[in-house]
Amino acid sequence: MEAKNYPSNRLLLSGNHAVAWGVKLVCPDVAPVYPITPQTPILEKITEFQSQGELDMELLTPESEHSAMAACISASATGARVFTATSSQGLLLMHELLHYACGARAPIVMFNVNRTPASPWGFWPDQLDSLAQRDTGWIQLYSETPQESLDTVIQAYRIAEAVGLPTMISHDAFYVSHSMEPVEVPSQDLVREFLPRFEPRYRLDTELGQSFGAPIDQATWNRSRRDIAAAMALVADAVTAAGEAWGELTSRAYGPLEQYRMEEAEVVIVTMGSMSGTAREAVDAMRERGEAVGLLKVRLFRPLPAEALRQALAGVSCALVLDRNYSPGMGGILHQEIKSALFAMSGAPRLHGLLAGIGGVNVSAEKIQQLVDDCREVEPSVEAQWVE
Amino acid sequence: MREILIIGRGGQGAQTAGNLLAQAYFAEGQFVQTFATYGGARRGTPVTSSIRVDDQPIRLRCDIERADAMLCFDDTLLDQGLLGRADDGTKIVVNSTRSSDAFSALGGYQIVAFDGMEIARRNEMGKVVNSALLGAFVAMLDDPGLETMCEVIEQTAPVKQQQNVAACRQAYQQLRNPA
Repeated sequence: MEAKNYPSNRLLLSGNHAVAWGVKLVCPDVAPVYPITPQTPILEKITEFQSQGELDMELLTPESEHSAMAACISASATGARVFTATSSQGLLLMHELLHYACGARAPIVMFNVNRTPASPWGFWPDQLDSLAQRDTGWIQLYSETPQESLDTVIQAYRIAEAVGLPTMISHDAFYVSHSMEPVEVPSQDLVREFLPRFEPRYRLDTELGQSFGAPIDQATWNRSRRDIAAAMALVADAVTAAGEAWGELTSRAYGPLEQYRMEEAEVVIVTMGSMSGTAREAVDAMRERGEAVGLLKVRLFRPLPAEALRQALAGVSCALVLDRNYSPGMGGILHQEIKSALFAMSGAPRLHGLLAGIGGVNVSAEKIQQLVDDCREVEPSVEAQWVE
Repeated sequence: MREILIIGRGGQGAQTAGNLLAQAYFAEGQFVQTFATYGGARRGTPVTSSIRVDDQPIRLRCDIERADAMLCFDDTLLDQGLLGRADDGTKIVVNSTRSSDAFSALGGYQIVAFDGMEIARRNEMGKVVNSALLGAFVAMLDDPGLETMCEVIEQTAPVKQQQNVAACRQAYQQLRNPA
């Protein structure tokens, strides 16, 4: 379908400022946010928009991330559209309330900037902070570029509100958060068409006399998890629908996975976030030499699109999972997830887990090509291997 | 694609210079990507701004391991560690009161020494040296154009816009036509 003719504005923006532009276009009702490096430019920019009268949103700055998330849940319960942003230690401090937000079925949208958790202290790109939240019941999307971050903030409200689950988007510190590049900023009219006003099915209102979150018996708690499971089962389609609808309006379509040059691929690189961009260059260089190498970018991590992953990797002889995170005693988290997704699949690819770029160390396109060369003829080990 | 590094000490304006240079390329319709070290950077510690320029979208998200050009704000930072990211094709401008020949012992690099501080002082800019160094750097790079660079500086300088622009122009002329 041809994109409708909405004007857009090309600006030179960092990834974090692209997120802030996405928030400005959505215009949520409430945003409780606590600053933390390297997220702070998001908060600074939305504060600037608000102070200049360009963003009619209630901005709260509580005393901690824990309180920020508590405010998000309360505001969401009243039917408000809610945004927050954090990173690393801040996200970890929210952990308790991340579970609560899912159980409360609060369609909050949160932007997380992936940064190494302390100790030792660091500011570097590493996805452990958000991956460690994988069991909290939040939808998780990973973004490769400032453009994708802006686009995904807007789509995330459609997804979260369609299924009634909180949604977290993450982009890597430094290579995306602080990388300035040209970004197409869509018009307000386009975003209004894409994202109409939210009408929640349930909300707290003194006129309605309902309450949320009361103590319940075992069977009801059990049912609440089954309801969440049923909602999770709808997410992949909601992500596809939102990504396709966005594509019709902007010519930039998205889905749960992206297959890049996967046709007839013998070897596939699987990764998330900013490393996908570098991997594209590696794939192009190897295709140029006649090598059948492709990239499978995982955009939707929770729920894991297991069936789609199996289909994408069918017929592939060797897959390399590049993890920019390390779960001590286990290895790379994406590697573990892909292994479980391919469980008992006949003809599954040989799966190599590679701990690449942990702590933000550099992973160049040349390095990725070398990893492909090193792995393609080798039997993989069960455990992930550290990349030197 | 061209890859450029700007190296300085926290507080000297190297990161700002990187952003301004990227804005000038962007204004000329190029695809750019720029990112800088942050967080651990403090006044006086080494900081780096990385810039990629291309006529098509830039997809690499990794460090620059070999730069096509370097702008070094402080000659004490121009050592073998930094030159590990350069080769004999890398164009290097270094802010220094010494002559270019003084750097020949570092090896066969294209190093042009330039006294940005003198131009900054001449234009009542104190120690704010980045507009002068940008003028010298774009003279060496051939693009972005001097006029584009000056427009970006004029629009973004928080104070002393005219002095900043004058320093950029003088540095450009001085590097192009050394006395």
